[in-house]
Amino acid sequence: MASIDLDKMLEKVKKTQWSLDEIDWDAPGAELITEEQWPKLKDFMADLMWIEHVGARAFAAMAKKAPTDTLRELYSYFHAEEQRHANAEMALMRRWGMLDGDEIPEPNINLRLVIEWLDRYSDEMPYYVLGTVVPMLEVALDGALCKFLLDTVDDPVCHQAFEKINGDEARHLGVGFTVMEMQGRGKSTIKAMQMVAPLLDPRLILGIASYFPLLNKMRDNIVAMGLPEERLYDAMRKFEKIGGRTEDGRRNPWFQIIKHHGRMVINRSNSFYHVPVDALVRLTGRIPRRALPAVPSWVYELTDKPTSDVV
Amino acid sequence: MTTRSKTPNTKATTTKPARRASTAASKANILKTNVSNTKVSKSNASKTPRKNTANVIGIESRSKPKLASVVIIGAGFAGIGMAIRLQQSGIKDFIILERGSEVGGTWRDNQYPGAACDIPSNLYSYSFAQNPNWSKSFSGSREILDYIKNLVKEHNLESYIRFNCNVVDTEFHEEGGIWNVTCENGNHYCGRAMVMAQGPLSNASLPNIEGVEDFEGHKIHSARWDHNYDFKGKKVAVIGTGASAVQIIPELIKEAEHVKVFQRTAAWVMPRPDFNVPNWNKALFSKIPATQRAVRNALYLGHEAMALAVIWNSPLTRVAEKIGAAHLKNQVKDKWLRRQLTPNYKIGCKRVLVSNDYYPALQQENCKLITWPINKISASGIKTVEGIEHQVDCIVFATGFDVCKSGTPFPVRGLEGVELSERWARGAKAYKSISVTGYPNLFMIFGPNSGPGHNSALVYMESQLDYAVKGISKILSENLKLMDVRSDKQRRFNADIQRRLAKTNWNSGCKSWYLTEDGFNATMYPGFASQFKAQMEKFKSTDYRIVKA
Repeated sequence: MASIDLDKMLEKVKKTQWSLDEIDWDAPGAELITEEQWPKLKDFMADLMWIEHVGARAFAAMAKKAPTDTLRELYSYFHAEEQRHANAEMALMRRWGMLDGDEIPEPNINLRLVIEWLDRYSDEMPYYVLGTVVPMLEVALDGALCKFLLDTVDDPVCHQAFEKINGDEARHLGVGFTVMEMQGRGKSTIKAMQMVAPLLDPRLILGIASYFPLLNKMRDNIVAMGLPEERLYDAMRKFEKIGGRTEDGRRNPWFQIIKHHGRMVINRSNSFYHVPVDALVRLTGRIPRRALPAVPSWVYELTDKPTSDVV
Repeated sequence: MTTRSKTPNTKATTTKPARRASTAASKANILKTNVSNTKVSKSNASKTPRKNTANVIGIESRSKPKLASVVIIGAGFAGIGMAIRLQQSGIKDFIILERGSEVGGTWRDNQYPGAACDIPSNLYSYSFAQNPNWSKSFSGSREILDYIKNLVKEHNLESYIRFNCNVVDTEFHEEGGIWNVTCENGNHYCGRAMVMAQGPLSNASLPNIEGVEDFEGHKIHSARWDHNYDFKGKKVAVIGTGASAVQIIPELIKEAEHVKVFQRTAAWVMPRPDFNVPNWNKALFSKIPATQRAVRNALYLGHEAMALAVIWNSPLTRVAEKIGAAHLKNQVKDKWLRRQLTPNYKIGCKRVLVSNDYYPALQQENCKLITWPINKISASGIKTVEGIEHQVDCIVFATGFDVCKSGTPFPVRGLEGVELSERWARGAKAYKSISVTGYPNLFMIFGPNSGPGHNSALVYMESQLDYAVKGISKILSENLKLMDVRSDKQRRFNADIQRRLAKTNWNSGCKSWYLTEDGFNATMYPGFASQFKAQMEKFKSTDYRIVKA
């Protein structure tokens, strides 16, 4: 993927906006969800929706830190677009009868930990760390999960919504990989070391401690849904392939770190990595929800309703 | 901590050419029910018939124009102040052209709920016309408007004013050394000198949002408030979170069922030391005017000190930011809302707001701050990028003013008929904010680079008025045909201004109405009010090319 003109991209993003009311959520097709699919799909959609929401919060952090006005505005849009995706996925859940009343599905514990970390620390994280982790999450989780959903669900409204969502995601990735290349451009060894230095930051270590088990947890979820985990790995390889396509991209030390981590995730025989991380997944699974602080108020901005006439 | 005064701190009188043709039509539609003085496009203005048949100054006129010493455009704060200072200097042969049907300019136009000044009343008034009876430390717009009306009454200015005279064209005739002014109603006026006192904040500005004309509910601009609209039980959207919005929102939530506030950029909001003035204080000021002057001087010096925090990046800037952050933290407990309301730029870069009740209003149950970018306006509401249509009965546009940073509000033709807007196409430039080379015998009140960031606009205005009086007196007493500022002096002056501006917070990277799209700052004065006053005190006739009649 070649670098893109960010100013033109911003114009394109503004021109390609859509809203939930453009989709007829009551159109026929909801009955195509089988009874067998339904319970698993409910958990799957909840996770997907929360991943979008986590992505939204990460973009919000990047909008504060981006080095140019154009990028700041792009990330402000991406923040809102990820929220829109989460809203659309919630609307699908409502359509499929997976939500009661004003219920918002609960995030799994690993996502909950990531939400907690994002709320506390993401605004403090260096831009280039978020600038690399977010494309990885988008490619690996978003990409694999969306693909799976479209392969297994026949409801045309779901396809209609994801056609729009995937259009947005393609633009997010275009910007994401361009920024990764920009950050690798002409980096000296000293600057590269400076970029890596935040690894010593305890706040970042905490972030890694919630990111690693999230990936393994999602892998387990995907397997539980009947999706070959190879799908996830294919998506992660895509990150390595696109991110490393140019010399600038390869020179970005955070690309190298994430890439190597991705390889470890893919290599199930790497017990050095998977044994402790899987243990971490089990351990975090035991954390009682009441032990966690109240969810931040941005969580309540989710809605499955296309229109709102109340505050 | 304030910049200028409140939102509407200058006068409104004239029209502005519709420079952005693509959006002007739709915007005009939105405002047409509320705006008494709609804009006139430059192209329309240029179509005004101008034949050389009727009289000595060569302009056809419905009523034959009489040559006045001075034509003042605008009967707001600046125009009325100009008239008073001319009177006091013995020049009584002037005329004031006002597009509205009453005086007051921006203070007449901005009568939205909660409209008030951001500068203490004792400082936001003329030093030569102090009012001991201000009811509050920060007066509301009606009281300020009454103050202006009283000035008109006390100085018998009513007979000098031509109301409903919307200026659409001005031209300097070199041969006679006369400015000819044409109004929309067809009347013509001419003067030996012309004062542009229409104010930079005289034309309401609507945001460039797709679908503005599609909205089927009620639309109101803060500067053209609709007092007949009943907000009770209504769902209202407020677009904009600037100086007008922070005053409107706390009032709106008392009436409306729901208020959704659409914010693009968070502003620095400082606490406001607001109080009712006790009667003994009014009596004291009335009986011993020196006490009021002393208070005014103290306020002036206090605001001067704020320049160190607001204009330049200094340790005091950090202190001011800490005060702003503490104000936010004290009033907003929710972490996410606080984050949404935290500015992402240095204090002073954009206008600093002052309010004690804005943050509490946002947290009322019937109010919601929305920071998602707006996608478009639809028939029934506002569509934001998170995919939701926020349905409302009424949209309040608190989106500020169309500031002429590189154009003029009406055609101004100087020597050889060159239009000032063409000369200013790449940014407005003047000499000491008041004179422009090629435009003789013309004086601008609040011309380029005269905007205060920390002190009362009236302080700046007064020194401009006095400078104009000196220039006009010279033209009249020495019977000058031309007094045109030298281009080298103007060039040198602007080079210095821009060099100094480069070191200010305004030019530190954020986008604001102070800057053009290209980032050129033709609005603000990069220094203390005292420096501005000192610069205006010296009228050096050697800086001008002078031609005797």
